[in-house]
Amino acid sequence: MDIIKIIGIGLIALIIIIILRQYRPEFAIYISLIAGALILLLVMDKFSGIISLLNRLASKTDINNQFLLILLKITGIAFLTEFAVSICKDSGEAAIATKIDIGGKVIIIGRSVPIVSALLE
Amino acid sequence: MDINLLFKIAGIGIIVAVLHQILTKAGREDQAMMTTLAGVVIVLTIVIKEISNLFATVRTVFNL
Repeated sequence: MDIIKIIGIGLIALIIIIILRQYRPEFAIYISLIAGALILLLVMDKFSGIISLLNRLASKTDINNQFLLILLKITGIAFLTEFAVSICKDSGEAAIATKIDIGGKVIIIGRSVPIVSALLE
Repeated sequence: MDINLLFKIAGIGIIVAVLHQILTKAGREDQAMMTTLAGVVIVLTIVIKEISNLFATVRTVFNL
């Protein structure tokens, strides 16, 4: 049922953008931003369910809980950078998109240092 | 709550566009610019509120 809501928001935003593009082009970016944010908010509820399941599974096994936390952080960072990158690309600013992408990658590598060091020992 | 945000912004956009046209035809370009700026500011407050809401949710879910 939620997929219908997601598709509905996307299509309505698309129609509004098409209408508004010839009058005020800058409003198209605002509407795509808002539509993206709304859809991601809908998805976030599902994510919290998945994450609590992962935590329960990880607590059963003897895997160090720290690694799962780092993995979740990395997923969150990737999630947000992808959101920003697609918005920038959409509005034609590919340069800014690549800078955000590089920034996200560096932060993710920074976060994953403990895992790599634990692996190498 | 979520879907009428889209319609609110679309409404503001259309109203600003129409006002801009009317004011420019009436010869008051400066007021037309003011209304456009006012519309943009209102829409930006809505957008920024929603984006900060998204970031707060992501932060809590992924405990960033």
